[in-house]
Amino acid sequence: MYNFSPLKQSALQKDLNDNICEEQVFERIYNKYANDLHDFLYYKYGANLNPNDKAQDAFIKLWDNCKQIPLAKAKSYLFTVANNMMLNEVKHQKVVLKYQQENHKHYTNENPEFVLEKQEFLIRYQNALERLTEEQRVAFLLNKADGKKHSEIAEILGVTQKVVEYRIYSAFNALKKELEGFKIK
Amino acid sequence: MDKNYLIEKWLKNELTEAEKQSFSKLDDAEFNQNIIDNAIHFKASHHAKINDFNTFKTHYNSQNTPIKKLNWWSPLIKIASVLVITLGVYFAFFNNSETLYKTIASEKISVELPDESKVELNAQSSIAFNSKNWKNNRAVKLQGEAYFKVAKGNVFDVITTQGKVTVVGTQFNVKQRENYFEVKCFEGIVKVIANDMTKQLVAGETFQLLNGRLSEGKTNASGPKWMDNMSEFEAIPFKQVLAELERQYNIQITIESVDIDRLFTGGFMHTNLENALKAITQPMNVTFELNTSNMVIIHGTNN
Repeated sequence: MYNFSPLKQSALQKDLNDNICEEQVFERIYNKYANDLHDFLYYKYGANLNPNDKAQDAFIKLWDNCKQIPLAKAKSYLFTVANNMMLNEVKHQKVVLKYQQENHKHYTNENPEFVLEKQEFLIRYQNALERLTEEQRVAFLLNKADGKKHSEIAEILGVTQKVVEYRIYSAFNALKKELEGFKIK
Repeated sequence: MDKNYLIEKWLKNELTEAEKQSFSKLDDAEFNQNIIDNAIHFKASHHAKINDFNTFKTHYNSQNTPIKKLNWWSPLIKIASVLVITLGVYFAFFNNSETLYKTIASEKISVELPDESKVELNAQSSIAFNSKNWKNNRAVKLQGEAYFKVAKGNVFDVITTQGKVTVVGTQFNVKQRENYFEVKCFEGIVKVIANDMTKQLVAGETFQLLNGRLSEGKTNASGPKWMDNMSEFEAIPFKQVLAELERQYNIQITIESVDIDRLFTGGFMHTNLENALKAITQPMNVTFELNTSNMVIIHGTNN
């Protein structure tokens, strides 16, 4: 009968039984998911509702409850908790995305008219983003602003790649419609 | 080539060389590219970032007295576990997974109960119920005002601090505010238990306990007016009217030389604050002042 050598077995077990309560493990999780979680909240709910704080609070909750949460469930726990915290806050406030506008430092060569039109374009763009559904907006920005691949986005959102592709496609068409007026003739 | 097909593949970054040529020849190719190029403006990390791990640690430690999970944890956990077991038993038997819905000022929501009964919650109100044992025990704790559409089934109770309403499949409105308990039945039969008395209401009948005084009445309406964004009052103390106005518009009212116990008959809409203020102040012969931060002052005529 073939027996697993005890060393080999414990190596297998080690990853599965990694305890979030160990600081090293927790730090690993933090570094792995913090940025994605933050960006997800930022794209979905905007800057106004403090995505940094909510993301941090979600990690705090994870740490405080580390005994109850297996490593494999950490990611979905973080995203669910953070999303719920946001939903609670959203109930009391109107959601305004408030993405900042770019500083036009490097547009000194352009004439003022161009700069003004560019600014108007960005304002319109932001409004159009606000009018997308949350799902469309998050998928679109994670892909086109953050540069994440469709497969990565699918993993973050817990949906299939086809769904991600569809959301981005819908988002793009909706944006195009809203920005119609800025077509260069 | 089909335009949409090209755009789809372009969005996925999957265009072949030949397809790329076709794409660039589309009449709005530049416009398309412009939209995508500018998406980068909204990149999260240009504007906001999450703290790095060390900052997170510092933040966490400053928030709580750090839970040193090593030293005194062990003896403390023994005490904690006894507490947890006791609480666990208590909650398991008495407080099983209570669901709570709450509205704030100027907010109204619709709630569906586990048996498809529906509750419309008015502003600044809350309902709580136990979803686990729902079929056998349909009981809802209400604070504030709600309209109920109860599905046929076992007895359905609405419990407030001023009275209890029991029904079997009907539509009715329960209002519980300060010293004000009112039940209006719109369909079926409801039984009201309040102040040591029991009253049965059929469709079209109303029951009211105002400052301890009972009055019964009739209604022709098919549902409560607040669901149509209107509040109606018949000989109700002015202070109740003001309280409802504050709830619907999320404002604060200060009064000067006004008798708030005077009875008011009339109503106001929930759609325009100024009109609503006119509607309630004119019949009472008082005036109002509205400043921008949603604070209202109501003056008596002697001013």
